[in-house]
Amino acid sequence: MNRYARIEKSLMHPKYVWELPVRFYHWINALVVVILGVTGYIIGNPPGITTATEASFGYWFGTVRFIHFVAAYVFFFNFVFRLYWGFVGNKFAKWKNFIPYTKAHWVDMWEVIKVDIFQVKCDKNPNLGHNALASFTYFLTFIVFILQTVTGFGIYAAMSPSWFPQLFAWIPSVFGGDIATRQLHHILMWFFALFAIVHVYLVFYHDYIEKNGVTSSMIGGWKFQDKDKVEREKD
Amino acid sequence: MGKRRKTYLEAAMDKGYSRRDFMKLGAMMTAFMGLESSMVAKVTKAMEKAPRIPIIWLHGQECTCCSESFIRSSHPLVADILLDLVSLDYTETLMAPSGYQAEKSLHDTMKNYHGNYLLTVEGSIPTKEQGVYCCIGGKTFENIVQEAADGAKAVIAWGSCASNGCVQSANPNPTGATPIHEIIKGKPIINVPGCPPIAEVMAGVVVHLLTFDRIPELDRLRRPKAFYSRRVHDTCYRRPNFDAGLFVESFDDENAKKGYCLYKMGCKGPVTYNACGVIKWNNGVSFPIQSGHPCIGCSEENFWDNGGFYKRLPNFPGFGIESNADKVGLGLGIATGVGVAAHAVVTNIRKRKLIADGECEQKDVE
Amino acid sequence: MSQRIVVDPITRIEGHLRVEIEVKDGKIVDAYSSGTMVRGMELILKGRDPRDAWAFTERVCGVCTTVHALASVRSVENALGIVVPPNADLVRNLMFCSQMMQDHVVHFYHLHALDWVDVVSCLSADPAQTSALAQSISNWPKSSVGYFKDVQKRIKKFVDSGQLGIFANGYWGHKAYKLPAEANLMAVAHYLEALEWQKEIVKVHTIFGGKNPHPNYLVGGVPLSVNLNESNALNAERLAYVKQLLDDAKTFIDQVYIPDLMAIASFYKDWGAIGGGLENYLSYGDLPTNGYNDVSSFKFPRGIIMGRDISKIHEVDGTDPDQIKEFIAHSYYDYDSGDKSGKHPWDGQTKLNYSGPKPPYDQLNVDGKYSWLKTPRWKGHAMEVGPLSRMLVGYASGREDYKEVVESALSQLNVPVGALFSTLGRTAARGLETKLVANWAQEFFDSLISNIKNGDSRMHSEYMWDPKDWPAEAKGVGMTEAPRGALAHWSVIKDKKLDNYQLVVPSTWNASPRDERGQRSAYEASLIGTPVADPESPLELLRTIHSFDPCIACAVH
Ligand code: HEM
Ligand code: HEM
Ligand code: NFV
Ligand code: SF4
Ligand code: SF4
Ligand code: F3S
Ligand SMILES: [Mg+2]
Repeated sequence: MNRYARIEKSLMHPKYVWELPVRFYHWINALVVVILGVTGYIIGNPPGITTATEASFGYWFGTVRFIHFVAAYVFFFNFVFRLYWGFVGNKFAKWKNFIPYTKAHWVDMWEVIKVDIFQVKCDKNPNLGHNALASFTYFLTFIVFILQTVTGFGIYAAMSPSWFPQLFAWIPSVFGGDIATRQLHHILMWFFALFAIVHVYLVFYHDYIEKNGVTSSMIGGWKFQDKDKVEREKD
Repeated sequence: MGKRRKTYLEAAMDKGYSRRDFMKLGAMMTAFMGLESSMVAKVTKAMEKAPRIPIIWLHGQECTCCSESFIRSSHPLVADILLDLVSLDYTETLMAPSGYQAEKSLHDTMKNYHGNYLLTVEGSIPTKEQGVYCCIGGKTFENIVQEAADGAKAVIAWGSCASNGCVQSANPNPTGATPIHEIIKGKPIINVPGCPPIAEVMAGVVVHLLTFDRIPELDRLRRPKAFYSRRVHDTCYRRPNFDAGLFVESFDDENAKKGYCLYKMGCKGPVTYNACGVIKWNNGVSFPIQSGHPCIGCSEENFWDNGGFYKRLPNFPGFGIESNADKVGLGLGIATGVGVAAHAVVTNIRKRKLIADGECEQKDVE
Repeated sequence: MSQRIVVDPITRIEGHLRVEIEVKDGKIVDAYSSGTMVRGMELILKGRDPRDAWAFTERVCGVCTTVHALASVRSVENALGIVVPPNADLVRNLMFCSQMMQDHVVHFYHLHALDWVDVVSCLSADPAQTSALAQSISNWPKSSVGYFKDVQKRIKKFVDSGQLGIFANGYWGHKAYKLPAEANLMAVAHYLEALEWQKEIVKVHTIFGGKNPHPNYLVGGVPLSVNLNESNALNAERLAYVKQLLDDAKTFIDQVYIPDLMAIASFYKDWGAIGGGLENYLSYGDLPTNGYNDVSSFKFPRGIIMGRDISKIHEVDGTDPDQIKEFIAHSYYDYDSGDKSGKHPWDGQTKLNYSGPKPPYDQLNVDGKYSWLKTPRWKGHAMEVGPLSRMLVGYASGREDYKEVVESALSQLNVPVGALFSTLGRTAARGLETKLVANWAQEFFDSLISNIKNGDSRMHSEYMWDPKDWPAEAKGVGMTEAPRGALAHWSVIKDKKLDNYQLVVPSTWNASPRDERGQRSAYEASLIGTPVADPESPLELLRTIHSFDPCIACAVH
């Protein structure tokens, strides 16, 4: 009897939610966002190093920036891939999940807020893919991804002659010049930091409350549902 | 008028230059403009044919530092520009006549050279209260600019005032100070930002127009690429210190004495497009960073309102004094952490309660 | 019946000035001076970081660039109790001196000279005689016959081109021009030389402040560090550069400016009895030799002269709420306390409210409000500020160097002391103080060198740089002597931001409209009695107005 068959026998109902590409996307993204956040923070607030080295022997700040730019490319193309997967992936990956254009989505969001924030008891079956609030948050996240990318490449356009950043050369004038664009880019970093804290906590939290395997789902792809609740819903 | 205007060659010969000297002048300008020497013949030819172009230089909401900068030009020398290259027919700062006679100079040029003069504007245009915040001869400045732009061949917006509104348009912009390109439509406009622009950049723009009889290549903000396509940071001689992470930590500290990078003192060089690092100021003597002060971004739109000159981030509105995005972000981060911890505790209590109530018996999965 | 004449724009000044005069029997009997452009700088400064204020206020004016920056950093330092290192005071003094030399020379040749010099008449000059004239008054090397011949040839070609540029429609041939053609030619040659010279002396700003116009200042000191072993800092090469510039400037002032001034003045001595105007003179003083807080160490002493009585110097205190006040009875502003009230700058208010005629207009409503300038008063008195005030206060305080230049000028021109209180006196005082300043600059430079030699290389004080050390509330006043006169900035700092910031500027003192009691300020007062030969060509009006060197962007801000 394999593992899943055993699980099948249990009271929890396993379901394959996250396809491999989504999982790959997620972990690449998580990694580069951390790298971008850390290097970005250093670029914004470089530590004071008062050694007696001559400038020509040092390049650490240049290296930090280089890492930031490399990570930026990875981040961007990884994200583009995810957008693509939003059209061809399974139903959990579909872009429709993210944009709250139906009433039901908003109702669900309210449910999640009740459970997560106000700690009201929930009778409804939790969503299988992202819960409604989470997916809305991801939707906002994607918008910030886009903003961060365009502001980043916008200011990068002045530093790189290659054609790709040049596509973004017009961006700073939209935000009122390079100064303002760069400040926006800096401020948005904090969105990522806050998102990461809340996101990781909530993932563990839902796992704990719902025991649905959400934490490991981003590794293995499987989530679990309470069979009782599934039955109850059917009635 | 009727009389044919003199070409540069004639003017130069009158001035006592020989044709050979004239070729040399052409070569100097060509070198100055960064062209290959094969262009020399062409440049010289263009100047031979062009008459002294009439210029109308209007003054709106400004501090006249752009005029002051202009007269600092060392190549070409401003006396040579005024006597031999252009005909500066109207500028309140230097012209001999006042009042009616001054207005006559303005109108003569507008009429006699309709379609052929260059309009240059120093200062912004106040638009609030129907423009009463700047009047000359009883007319609003907006009105005067409109009228003068009508017959202009091209318009140059001198300095940050005319090209992006500069200091008087800083929050709350009490007079509705507006840059030229938002008022004048349908004319080629060249923005030459900077507070003020470098003298040789101003002269360079004029020389370009005269020599090539065409507008220099502009970027999307209508700035001549020749002078505004590079950030100060890209041509800053302190750049190796930046890359090596060697920064001035406070004014006049050991690092300042060594000429380290001024990034942490709020330097806006990385976000400012200007030629200060290469052309430098006052015939190459120095530029702000070389003299120990961070760049304040004086050629950038809105540089007054993007936070302080000694900070890299603006104050965050609504979060008290001296709070920038980092402080607010860190605060929110800590608050979130605390919230998360509290939430976790509550969750645990609740879960224990559920277990105690038997509502949530521990199910054996395996 | 008198005739109303409007001169707008007044040119060869900074900014937007309109003067309306009443002329009767060939003389001006009444005058109204109006500033016609406003930007609202005091409103813009509200809520800003006090350490940034210098950059905003410096942009009040690009002609007297630096002076507002200096007043501003001093105002903030005064509020926060910051004392700058001695070297910083010296560098600021050097920048001050360079500014004054440049501004005064440009004023004399490019803004004022055409009131006295007929450019066109120089075409009929004999270059040989011009050369003889030039050599008789100075040993400036550029004074050969050939040199003046070339200049004349150049001007002739220029005039023949038919495109007269800035010289078109001038008052050429006006009978008030009295210089012989030869002197005109010399002046025109120096007009062109001064144009080249002025761009050199400002390099002192470029070295210390990175650029000119609008060099950088810094609260707590100056931005450039000293390091004799570093190419990035103030080292021997930079210092030698400064020294060269100061030396060259002094030579030009001694050998060109002052001789020209005296030569021209000697043809216009009648102007020593015209354009005196007010009888009160104010100077805040400047150029400390022992720190800005030691007023007695100033090269330009602080003080007031009332009623032309140079036997007594009155004291002025910027912090006394009853001394300096600004009025708005004839200015386009509102005060919460009403149009009749005056306000000390710490309590100052700037509420724009235009109530003049709707443009386009022909005449101002001079019974109501008619200018964008406020009207400053000292204990209710109108004051003249500027070079003449400085020279009078210096002379009255018995300083030797003042006495020497003033007395030698008076005897050279053979005019009485009373001739100082005039249009000519103002123009002469400007030249004489330039000479003093050129000398003092040498002293400041030497002091800087000796400080560095003695091991003091401090340029900036970190004290109170960080806003977290600031008190919840602080008030300061920063004073200086700008080229056009007494300048001060008042700042009120609350919660680390500027809560109020008020500038009272030299040209505000001089060019303001009358006050609530109908007292005229300096421009209006000095125009009374000025002759007008031809009402259509207001050349004489320009002479008196230009003798103040108007700066209206400054005056209104
Ligand atoms: C999660 C995504 C990202 C974060 C959190 C982030 C964060 C930051 C931060 C905090 C800074 C310092 C800003 C300052 O204070 O001046 C910075 C600088 C920068 N970032 Fe990002 N960034 C991200 C993505 C990107 C992307 C996609 C690009 C695209 C090229 C990019 C390009 C840049 C550039 C060019 C700079 C300026 C570097 C310099 O001038 O030396 N960033 N970033
Ligand atoms: C220990 C770290 C992390 C764990 C365990 C984790 C786990 C998860 C899980 C389980 C989901 C699916 C949530 C759901 O079903 O609603 C998810 C989604 C997501 N996570 Fe994370 N995550 C981690 C870190 C991060 C980080 C650092 C980021 C960076 C921004 C991130 C961005 C996202 C995004 C954008 C999604 C939506 C995925 C999609 O559908 O494309 N995660 N994560
Ligand atoms: N008035 C005036 Fe200024 C001067 N001098 C400033 O304080 O010119 Ni613009
Ligand atoms: S751009 Fe700056 S320098 Fe030029 S007029 Fe405006 S304020 Fe003065
Ligand atoms: S001083 Fe300014 S412009 Fe120069 S390298 Fe440093 S940050 Fe860049
Ligand atoms: S402040 Fe302005 S002068 Fe150049 S170095 Fe910066 S752009
Ligand atoms: Mg004021």
